[in-house]
Amino acid sequence: MKIRHLSLVLAMMVLILGCSSKEKAEKPKIAVVVSTLNNPWFVMLAESAAENSRKLGYEAKIFDSQNNPAIESDNFENLISSGYDAILLNPTDSDGSISSILKAKTAGIPVFCMDREVNTDDAATSQILSDNYSGCVSIGIEFVKELKEKGKYVEILGLVGDNNTWARSKGFHSVVDHFPNLKMVAQQSGNFDRTKAMEVLETIMQANPDIDAVFCGNDAMAMGAFQALQAAGKEYNVKIFGFDGASDVIEKIREKKIVATGMQFPKVMAQTAAQFADEYFKGRKTFPQRVPVEVELINASNIKDY
Amino acid sequence: MKRKYLYILALLAIALLGYNSVYFKKLSDVKKAQKESFDFKAYADSLYYKGILKSKKTVDLTNLISSLKSDPSAAFEKFGNRLGIGNSAYFMIKSTGKIIDIKDGIYTVADEHNGVVFIDTKYIFGNDLRDASGLVKLTDFKTNAQFNKVSESLNDIVRNEVIPKEIKTVKLGDSISFSGAVKLSKKQTLFTDLLIIPSQIKLQ
Repeated sequence: MKIRHLSLVLAMMVLILGCSSKEKAEKPKIAVVVSTLNNPWFVMLAESAAENSRKLGYEAKIFDSQNNPAIESDNFENLISSGYDAILLNPTDSDGSISSILKAKTAGIPVFCMDREVNTDDAATSQILSDNYSGCVSIGIEFVKELKEKGKYVEILGLVGDNNTWARSKGFHSVVDHFPNLKMVAQQSGNFDRTKAMEVLETIMQANPDIDAVFCGNDAMAMGAFQALQAAGKEYNVKIFGFDGASDVIEKIREKKIVATGMQFPKVMAQTAAQFADEYFKGRKTFPQRVPVEVELINASNIKDY
Repeated sequence: MKRKYLYILALLAIALLGYNSVYFKKLSDVKKAQKESFDFKAYADSLYYKGILKSKKTVDLTNLISSLKSDPSAAFEKFGNRLGIGNSAYFMIKSTGKIIDIKDGIYTVADEHNGVVFIDTKYIFGNDLRDASGLVKLTDFKTNAQFNKVSESLNDIVRNEVIPKEIKTVKLGDSISFSGAVKLSKKQTLFTDLLIIPSQIKLQ
């Protein structure tokens, strides 16, 4: 009888040890789900998140949501069923992405948002976000000073379902709207896309040929606006302002063809998200819900530093 | 026959009362209205008059600069406030000096101990005052949009109510005491020509 009990205990121990050694042998897997890979800025964000995850010893794979919450939702279904252990997410939509995050949460998978905020504070484990509002306040002040408080301007917004679009717009307008001689003649979405922004501005300029400035919600659109103005021979008459700190816009600021941009730090956001996932695996369960990352104004006065 | 009309009238009256007694609203609209019902103006009023003006965290500019020169990390830790990740922090400072120039809302002040400083009374925007105060936490509000509205209300009070009244009596050559927010970078080694977003300017 005793021998039977002993053999049972031994069998149990072998099973338990076997299981734990199997767990140790498997590397946790991190999914990097990015809104789009059709924009170099997001490619950098995704690759940096994956690279940082690998450096920390984890398997990492990038999923492209193609700016479509339905594809993002499919990505989540796949990666939940494939046994991923954490998700570093750049959401497609501030409301539309919430249900996917909640599905992961229910499955016990932590989600760390990068760059884009979702409209709830109890879904993601943490959200690491550019301080878009403050960055665009600085651009707004620069804009008012450059235009000497008067003129007609166009605002080209990003994706209307994205919180960053409105945080940037609100930061900008929190300054510019206090100067009554600055008149916004059009505000349209360019979907954060260079070609779309170029087309939008070309159409707007047909009805408003005498604009003095364009404020764009990202640098890709600022480059699109520059192309539209160049084609119309107005690139030296109309002041362009962007947001992101993209290398082509930095060059244009150096050449005095674009006035200013806000430098974001995608690598810092990606690194912090990967670091948080690592800490989560090691037992940390409480994270700040929102971690703002500073945005720096770049203009002619400090371009030498970039 | 008359009774029939009375019944119809009574039914109509009940239907009308019933129609006006019940309202259907989208749950999302109700939630949105609840969020928007927060009185940012009252909150900012209290933050300014009961918080910022009475704050013991406001540091004398001379002490701050001397601390920054001797141990920058300790000075940033003790006196600065940076929400999240970044190379800079906001400080709430106070000092005194003589106005040597006034141009486009910028008051150039010869600070007795700290050289020239610029007080910007025109571009009081952004999160400088809110963050320098260190009195509002990110977790106090559910979204960044609400958190930023605090700054907008606070800036409105300072820019439209407080500073215009205070600078009415101030002119070139006057000696003033002032307090406000200053943004400093961790990479910064020179602390001259500082730009201050004022919270208060007083004739001495």
